[in-house]
Parts: sequence; structure tokens; C-alpha cells
Amino acid sequence: MERGTDPRLQALMTRLAAGDRSALHPVFELLWPVLRRFAGRHLPPAEAEDAAQEAVVKIFMQAAGFDTSRSAVAWTLGITGYEIRTARRRRRRRREEPADAAALGARPDPASDPEAAALARDLESTLATALGALRPEDAETLRLYARGARPAIAAATFRKRVERALARLRTAWRTTDEHS
Amino acid sequence: MSTPEARLEARARRAYERGRLRSAVVRALPLVPLVALATVGCPERLEVMLCGAALLATAIGLLWRGQDYGAGVGPGVAAGLLPLLLPVVTRVTGHLCTTGSCYVLPVVCALGGLAGGVLLGVLAPAPRAGRRVAFVVACVVAALTGAVGCLLYGLVGLVVMGAGLAAGATPLLAARRA
Repeated sequence: MERGTDPRLQALMTRLAAGDRSALHPVFELLWPVLRRFAGRHLPPAEAEDAAQEAVVKIFMQAAGFDTSRSAVAWTLGITGYEIRTARRRRRRRREEPADAAALGARPDPASDPEAAALARDLESTLATALGALRPEDAETLRLYARGARPAIAAATFRKRVERALARLRTAWRTTDEHS
Repeated sequence: MSTPEARLEARARRAYERGRLRSAVVRALPLVPLVALATVGCPERLEVMLCGAALLATAIGLLWRGQDYGAGVGPGVAAGLLPLLLPVVTRVTGHLCTTGSCYVLPVVCALGGLAGGVLLGVLAPAPRAGRRVAFVVACVVAALTGAVGCLLYGLVGLVVMGAGLAAGATPLLAARRA
């Protein structure tokens, strides 16, 4: 944050916390460019804009409860940091979604390349071994997930089961890989 | 300012007001059990509950508005607690007197008001120039809080409690102003 912003923001946030609405516009003008730049350093432009907007709204939402003995800069950056982490988590979750069927289809055909075919066979064998080491329920969950199907349970419950099964698969994979 | 930024600022403004309201409700919530306590064994339950609702709405409104308006709520409630609780304690311990001289001059309201007035004189922001709002708010909230407890004794109870508050607070406030 720029030199001089710190004490000014502290004074304005103190006024805002006390209910002085006239401090709202100066706080917004002071914070918005800084938070947008801060989010831009950690996220791609489109996501950075969204995260900074969410952070600004949350900062104003919580302004009434701002503890004036705390640093306003640290407080606002803390909220923005949380929004950045949420955006990253969201992106990671999107990447893990099974709708990547198109991406899977875009992979080169291993049959056309003997080396790739051997590698694919090796991978499949390691995966089969790792899957075999899992509990039957975990293996079934992953099979359903790979097919894009879902049993008759809540989406959140299934997602949790998939996360757990994937974590166990990673552990089993590491063990299988080390032994092979 | 570009339009998206103006829209974001308007969104932030709405979020700020929502946040203030939520914070005011949370801060005023402890009044609910106090009002509920005042209805224990009370024959005038509806009136007490209406007075309690008025107190709750006033406190939420003032805390939401903030600044000097919000600053007077805490001292007001603290000062009004004694005239609210004394009649309840009297009632619960079996000293309810709805007839006779006690009803004509409810001593508990007078005593509660006097003690609350002393507290008001200590806690309320001194009515100096520029801080009169906070002082007036503290007095109004103290009177409303005490009224929840003294309403049982009717208009006489309220007047006696108000007089007690004034008698307790005035000397201390005068000393603080000097």
C-alpha cells in the first residue's frame, strides 16, 4: 500500500466503524485500486476483478464491526487474501470436475505411438493396482465419478466421498509406484 | 467515475448498511432475555412486551445510525437495568403489591430509578456542546429500559422511576459539567 495510505485509511475506517457515512466514498476511492492491484498480482485478470469486488463488498459489510485498535491495512488485506484463496480453490475445484471428457478425448491415441502405448499400459497397470488397493466403496465412487455418474445421494456428499477416495488413491498410487 | 465503479460503490454502500443493521441487531439481542425476564409473573404481559419491543426497535435504530446516536445506547441500557430488574426481583421473591400504598407509590421503581440515575450520571456522555445527542439518547434509552420493569405499576410507576432517574443523575452531571 502507498506511503501515507496507512494512517489515512486507519482514520477513515475508524469513522466508518462509528457510523460516519461521509467516510464511505473516500474509503472506497482509497481501497478499490489498491485491492484490485493486490488481487491482480495473485490471480488472472478476470478472477482478480471478481475477487477484489467481493473483497470490497465484504470489507464494507464488516466495517461496522471493525476493531479500531487493529491495523486497517492488515484487516482489509486479510479479507482480500481470503477472497483470493477462495477464488483459487474454486478454480482448482473446476479443474477437478469430471466434465473434462473433451480434454480426455483430445489426448493423442497411444496406439499410433508404441512408446506412448507402453507408457499408457504401464500407467493403466499402476492405476489398476492402486484402485485394487482401495476399499471397494472408494473404487466404486471413483468409477462413477470417471463416468460422470452420481449415485442417489446429495451432490455435496458425493463430492466429499470423491475427494476422500482421490486422496486415498493418491496415497495408494505413491505406494504402488515406489514398489514397482 | 466509470459506471462499473459507481455500481460497485453503490453495492458497497448497501453492504455497509446491511452490515450495520446486522451488527445493531446482534448488539441489541441481549435485551430480549431481559424483556422476557420482565414478563415473568407479570399480569400486564402484553404491555410489558410492547414496551420491550419499542425498546428493542429504538436500540436497533440508534445502533444502526451510529455515531452519537449509537454511543448513548450502552450507558442508557446500563442505567435502565436497575429500575428494570428491581421490580422483577421484588415480584419473584413474593413481594408483589398491586394494591395499597405500595401501588400508589412504588418504592422499587423510585429506588431503581435513583440508582439508575446515579449510574446514568457516571456513564452518560456529559451534555457538553456537540455531545448533546449522545446524552439525550442515553436518557431516553435509560427511561425506556426502566419502563419495561416499572410498567407494572402503571403511570405512577413510570413517573416515579423517571423522577428517580433525574434525581440520581442531575447532581453528578452538574458536577461533571463544572
